[in-house]
Amino acid sequence: MSGDRSARYWLTPLGCAVIIAIGCGGGKTQDAAARPDAQPPMSQPVQLAEAPAATPTTGGGSASIKGILHFSGPVPTPEPIAMEADPVCQQKHPTPVVSDEVMVQNGLLKNAFVYLKEGVKGPFTPPTTPVVLDQNGCWYTPHISGIQAGQPLEITNSDQTMHNINAKPKANPPFNIAQAMPMKTTKTFSKPEVMVRFKCNVHPWMTAYLGVLEHPFFAVSGDDGSFTIANVPAGTYTVEAWHEKFGTQTQTVTVGEGEAKTVEFTFQAQ
Amino acid sequence: MASVVHRTTLSILVTGALVLIGLVPDSRATPAANATHRPTPDPAAGQAAYQQSCARCHGMQGKGDGVDAKRFYPRPRDFTVGTYKFRTTTSGTPPSDDDLFATITNGLPGTNMPDWRQLSEETRWQLVDYLKSFAPQVFQQESTPVTLPVFSSNPKANTGRAAYDKYGCAACHGKQGRANGRSSATLVDDWGMPIRPANLTQGWAYRGGNSPTAIATRFLTGIDGTGMPSYVESGMTPEETWQLAYYVASLQEPAHWNMIVHAHRIDGELPTTVDDPRWQAAERTDVRLRNVVTPAGEWANPPTVRAATFQVVYNEEQLGLLVSWDDPSESRNESPDALAVILEPASVKGDVVTLQAWPYAGAPPLDLCYWSAPSSTAYEGIVSNYEQIQTRPPSAAELHNAARFDDGRWRLLLRRSLTPHTPQGAAALTADVLTPMAFAVWDGGNHQALAVSPWVDVALERARHPAHH
Repeated sequence: MSGDRSARYWLTPLGCAVIIAIGCGGGKTQDAAARPDAQPPMSQPVQLAEAPAATPTTGGGSASIKGILHFSGPVPTPEPIAMEADPVCQQKHPTPVVSDEVMVQNGLLKNAFVYLKEGVKGPFTPPTTPVVLDQNGCWYTPHISGIQAGQPLEITNSDQTMHNINAKPKANPPFNIAQAMPMKTTKTFSKPEVMVRFKCNVHPWMTAYLGVLEHPFFAVSGDDGSFTIANVPAGTYTVEAWHEKFGTQTQTVTVGEGEAKTVEFTFQAQ
Repeated sequence: MASVVHRTTLSILVTGALVLIGLVPDSRATPAANATHRPTPDPAAGQAAYQQSCARCHGMQGKGDGVDAKRFYPRPRDFTVGTYKFRTTTSGTPPSDDDLFATITNGLPGTNMPDWRQLSEETRWQLVDYLKSFAPQVFQQESTPVTLPVFSSNPKANTGRAAYDKYGCAACHGKQGRANGRSSATLVDDWGMPIRPANLTQGWAYRGGNSPTAIATRFLTGIDGTGMPSYVESGMTPEETWQLAYYVASLQEPAHWNMIVHAHRIDGELPTTVDDPRWQAAERTDVRLRNVVTPAGEWANPPTVRAATFQVVYNEEQLGLLVSWDDPSESRNESPDALAVILEPASVKGDVVTLQAWPYAGAPPLDLCYWSAPSSTAYEGIVSNYEQIQTRPPSAAELHNAARFDDGRWRLLLRRSLTPHTPQGAAALTADVLTPMAFAVWDGGNHQALAVSPWVDVALERARHPAHH
């Protein structure tokens, strides 16, 4: 058992790097993920092979799946958000705010959750580093993110106003908790589920989605519609792209060790 | 064992002390379910009782889709989802069996769910087991009871005001608890339907009980399926929990469901303002308001005006009414808030038994004293439908009125003649008979939703002044 535990600790930094690098969405973090120095050295996973049976045999691979999300057709005009009813919200936004449901620039779709739906062989020990879901300016940051089952989710309120966090997962127990002032609460989801929706009833425009997976192979498309899922073991995978407004699309991809494959998805206005 | 005995003794002593000082928590949070009476589950008996007593609203398959479901607000629970609002358990966990038993036994005040005490305890327990069978996946999970904090000191309601502000209660429930907080009109439930927060001044409509203990329980459990969160992880201290519970309880205003309304005799001029101190001498009566039946039903358009409070005064010539009602938004002009005092015209044959259906085919006309914001407008007419008075018929008589809107509450003064000459056929009030009276209230901020009261009978109080004998 002790060997088992040490193996998990070995895997943790790897998982964290992936989560931190690509789990938070946005173009910049994905650039970071693409930098070689942001990834653990290739040799490190070898130590995992010495661990007992529970250790993932195909974990910590060297392939990567990259891609672009295109958007065709007329882009819906984002809804303006009226925050003046709560001055605490309004104060943090000097310029008018619009809904972050659909974000398209130059025909490229931001905030799609892309993950390996089928083909991943685990298990992958969840990182102990939390994923953070922040409420700031009556806005969820990040709007879309991913987490591993069992990994802590730190929900923070950075506002001097009352938020309720109303999460309605299906596979995991739902909750609806109050954060009336700056504070943090930690939650975990034990079962995989794409996606868990978070809502604030006090500020009805606030919505966030969290993809809960049993592995670290997911990303969120950035401003340029691109994503990178790194450290993928060789194999054949079903890649799914999920968007809150436009549904899901899947593709099958086969990668070998060290290989980088590119996939493209095109979502359409509905 | 010794420590258990000690704790029990202590709790009896503490409870006794609380009873003496009038602060005893009620049994709502710890329903008086006696496990020893619980029968062995008998699915056939449970199903039979369910179909007999529950299916009409909750549906044969427990989906909350009975024949009347669409007209109800709040809607009957869909048992197949397994989400229960009123529990003593942690947010997101199923209710305890005792919770279900308590809801069946006590009903849900302010809703169409009655209490089912006429069913035997055994039958109610069979129903508990049968309800659980609609959502086995939910009831496989463990339900973790919340623990009410120790009732540490003598909480004063006035110290709870700070907690009310600190924990953001006003965002939905409003500064004075009148369900007019800034988020009140945007709330949706887990089924995507619009809902409204509780009006905390209406203690009679607190679904889960209106005692401080029941209120504190709601803070801890939240109300699953709605926007009301659990405050377990919010940093709320035990002291604050009780202070806030007592503060919320203090917002409740006593309701007087009089069926006979005594009009208070005043010598000389009737009050001309809503603040006249003479109103204090007049008896207060509360009436429930229900939205009129529409094809869309109540549920599509949750009712916002649930009750009205009124007082009646009179002198030799005139009748005066002071009516107040909670409406979350002040609406004037285009789509105004409005109220009508409804009387039966003189010499009209036939009764309008329920105003919820009026005007139906062949319905008798009604005498309406109609006011709409802005407050300069008030007049009286005999009409066959509401549109006639809303567009002001030529025969209408001007009424004296004064109105004020303050933080989610209208207060309106209306004065009319006891025996008016116009409009022709207007209701006349005399000291010898009871006069049926009812109210219709329009909420301009809620798609002109119309809510009506049942009839109450107004009695002109005999003069007690020696001068009149």
